[in-house]
Order: sequence, then C-alpha cells, then structure tokens
Amino acid sequence: MVQTMDISFALNGKEYKLSVPANAVLLDIIRDKMHLTGTKEGCGRGECGACTILFNGRSVNACLILAPQADGAEIVTVEGADVERKLLSIQKAFVEEGAIQCGFCTPGMIMSSLYLLNKNPNPSISEIREGISGNLCRCTGYVKIIKAVERASKDIGK
Amino acid sequence: MKALNYLRADTIDSALQYLDEFKQDIRIIAGGTDLVVRLKQDMVKENNILDISRIKELNGIFRENGTIHVLPLTTHTDILESEVIDKYAFILREACATIGSPQIRNRGTLGGNIVNASPAGDSISALFVQTAKLKLKSINGERVVSIEEFFTGPGKTILKPNELLVDIFMPELEENETGFFKKLGQRDALAISVLNVAVKMRRRGAGTNTFDRAVVAFGAVAPTVVRGRRVENAIISSSLDSSKQIHYIARLAFREVSPISDIRASLKYRQDMSINLLYEGLLDLRANDWKRKT
Ligand SMILES: Cc1cc2nc3c(=O)[nH]c(=O)nc-3n(C[C@H](O)[C@H](O)[C@H](O)COP(=O)(O)OP(=O)(O)OC[C@H]3O[C@@H](n4cnc5c(N)ncnc54)[C@H](O)[C@@H]3O)c2cc1C
Ligand code: FES
Ligand code: FES
Repeated sequence: MVQTMDISFALNGKEYKLSVPANAVLLDIIRDKMHLTGTKEGCGRGECGACTILFNGRSVNACLILAPQADGAEIVTVEGADVERKLLSIQKAFVEEGAIQCGFCTPGMIMSSLYLLNKNPNPSISEIREGISGNLCRCTGYVKIIKAVERASKDIGK
Repeated sequence: MKALNYLRADTIDSALQYLDEFKQDIRIIAGGTDLVVRLKQDMVKENNILDISRIKELNGIFRENGTIHVLPLTTHTDILESEVIDKYAFILREACATIGSPQIRNRGTLGGNIVNASPAGDSISALFVQTAKLKLKSINGERVVSIEEFFTGPGKTILKPNELLVDIFMPELEENETGFFKKLGQRDALAISVLNVAVKMRRRGAGTNTFDRAVVAFGAVAPTVVRGRRVENAIISSSLDSSKQIHYIARLAFREVSPISDIRASLKYRQDMSINLLYEGLLDLRANDWKRKT
C-alpha cells in the first residue's frame, strides 16, 4: 500500500491542504493534483530544468523534490504572476524577443530568469548565461533567450 | 518509484532515534538531488526514508577558535553566498561553484555531497586539501574522523547505518595560504567531473616561490578521492620559479592517479589531463603572485 501524507503549502500565494503519496515528486503534484501544467517534465532527473519552480524563494528542480518534503513550503510556478510581479515582464520579453520556439523549455527558463533577476536585477550577459545554465533549450540556440532576459531586466528597472 | 514509508525528524535526537529504530532499513534524505534520482531508478533498497531537511541544528556556517564549521544541510548556494567561506575556505567555495546548475546548488547540500561518496564529488577534493574533519553521531555517542578516513570506495563510507553526519569543520585558511580547485567536465554547466584537482599551499614568505606545506587531491581518478603525496613533496622541496619547474612537478601527478576508462573519458586522457589541470592551476596562481584568483 502506498503511504500518503497530509501536507500543506502555499502555491502561487494560495494556501492548500492535501494528501500526497510518499513516493510522488512535487512535479507530479503540481501538474496532476493542482492542475498547473505550465511546469514541464523533460528528463525527470535534474538535467533539463523544464520543471524549475521557486521553492522558498530559490529555484529548484521540482522533479527531484519528494512530495512530502513540500510540507510548509512557499512555491511559485510560472503561473504565479500574482505573487511575483516580475513574471509578467519576463514573459512579455520572451514573446517580444522571439525567445520561444516549441516552448517546452520556456516555463523553466522563465523561472530561472525570475530567480536570477530577484537576486541580481542588472545581470551581465555572462551572469545571464550562468543563470540559465541549468535549463536546456533544443530549439533557440539561447541567443534570443539571453536577449529576452536582458530586455526584462531593463523593463523591470524602468 | 516504489512505495516508501516517509519519516521526518525535526531535531538531531529524533533523527537518531529513527535511525536506531529502523537500523538496516532506513535511508536519509537531505536535498534529495542524489537520492531522488536513485529512487526513480529503483536503486535504493531501503523502504523507510528519513527526511532531515528541516533540522535547524544541522544548518549553518560559523567560525570558532580558528575553525570554520559548515553544517551538513548547508547548500552549495549557501556556501557561495557566505562571506566567511569566501575568506576562510575559498577552495571549498571554488569547488561548490562548479556543481551542477543553480537549481542543483540551491537544493543540494554539502553533507549529501560527502555521504554520497562519489569519487567525482566536487566538494570532496576541496575538503581533502582543507583537511576537514567530520563528526558522526549515533544514539550511542559521537566520533570525529578525518575526511580522508571517511571513504572506502565508490559510494562507500565508514558511516554506520545508525549514524548521522552532524558537522563538517576545518581550519580557517591563513593569510599566507593559497590554493585552487579546478575541474574538467564535458561542458561548463551540469557536468560531472571527468576529473578534478584541489591544491592548498603555504608560502614561506612574500616574494618567494617556496612553500613549506602543500596538500594536493585528485577527484574522479581512483575509487575515492586521493592525495597526491609525490606532488606535495615536490612542491615543498623545490622552488616554483619557472614554468618548466612547475611542469616537472605537475608531471608527477601521472604517478598518483589510477583512473579507469568510462563513458566520460579514457584512462589515458584522465592521466594526461590530471597533469594539465595541475600545471594550469599552478601557473595561474604564480601569474597572480600566488594569490587566489578572485
Ligand atoms: C543534474 C545533477 C547534476 C549534479 N552535478 C554535480 C556536480 O557537478 N558535482 C557534484 O559533486 N555533484 C553533483 N550532483 C550530485 C548532487 O547534487 C550533490 O552530491 C549534492 O550535494 C547532494 O546533496 P543532497 O542534499 O541533494 O543529497 P541527498 O540526495 O539528499 O543525499 C545523498 C546521500 O547522502 C546521504 N545523506 C545526506 N545527508 C546526510 C547526513 N547529514 N548524514 C548522513 N547521510 C546523509 C543520503 O542518505 C544519501 O545517501 C549532481 C546531481 C544532479 C541531479
Ligand atoms: S524534468 Fe526536472 S530537470 Fe528535467
Ligand atoms: S523553445 Fe523548444 S526547447 Fe526551447
């Protein structure tokens, strides 16, 4: 029998109480239980960044967090513009720079960019590259993504 | 993932109780960046998972009488953001900066990197040269071991099933001490070390190229991280005046390492590159008047 745990967390600013299987990962809970499908599963093992979320303010791979470990956490996903206003500017910049092709990496890229800009509002190009180094994109070649983050940092600074 | 029984401890005492109670069938989870990958591959035999990630007493960085303590739940990001580490344990800092990605560093802990005991674990070679000690605690008491004694093989340590790693501590780096950590991966980000090298040296005095103490460690070139004693002796007994002399010393690395060929690199490549990494690291230091790179 699969053990379930009663946990609670804040997701995009709203409090939830729910019961989760002990052997699930937070990514599955976000997608399948909370029905927020912006967060993607690519590799499932920490290598692609498609599942990036903010967990207590830090970017993490949701595919590597055991669901019960999320008890009491503050979680923000790509749908969380209500609590992270910068998300809107970043999303807009990605669209305007054409930084999205198939779009599969985009939510993760945006969350890594958000974490970067929260820590460092005016990153250099090399800091941007480092900031998105945990996210793979098979389509764009990264140049437009880097431009988008640069643009977002300027827009937010205005 | 197989069915698991999840347990959580919020204090060291309660963790030790659980470890003792479930003895052979319990596995600790901290950041989970190693363990969850293994769980997904069904490579974990234990059925009880003990979450220690909330134990406040296991988290923090502090100085005490010339010693710097980095508690096991400290994440790689915490290490990178610490001024104390930047000043007194910068070789460890250089190592943690190369780990995984921002996401992995935000979640992965120093304790997890150590206990995971990968020969390619990047913090480990740095902790070797910073002569770190580990405090292991069980319900029966505690013991302190040197980082070198801790590992017995790939993924293998002397940690008993009922023991918890509770402290990692090392002497603060002094004014006249210098060093570096260098890693060769298959690419810059998200790359497990093909090999790595860490060096700490104590300079005899400003203006000299001589050193009265040296510790060198290589990662991913043997079943555990290894000391490079021939290199250390050569550094102490000579003067690192010319690039030729430095190359001569670096070439001794060849005799220290017993690498294997695997998916990341061949034996020959690892041997050659252990020389090159050491050579490059020493040259860079010398070019900067033996001051750490910032
Ligand atoms: C994509 C990816 C990239 C990575 N890149 C690197 C890299 O470049 N370099 C590198 O060195 N590593 C790398 N790693 C490995 C991993 O992220 C690190 O080893 C990390 O520091 C592990 O910490 P954790 O807290 O996540 O460990 P966990 O997964 O929680 O635990 C690891 C092991 O340690 C045990 N453990 C943890 N804490 C304690 C404790 N206090 N007492 C006793 N036992 C304990 C656990 O039982 C488990 O066996 C990578 C991992 C991934 C997924
Ligand atoms: S799905 Fe989590 S990193 Fe790839
Ligand atoms: S846009 Fe397709 S993976 Fe990035």
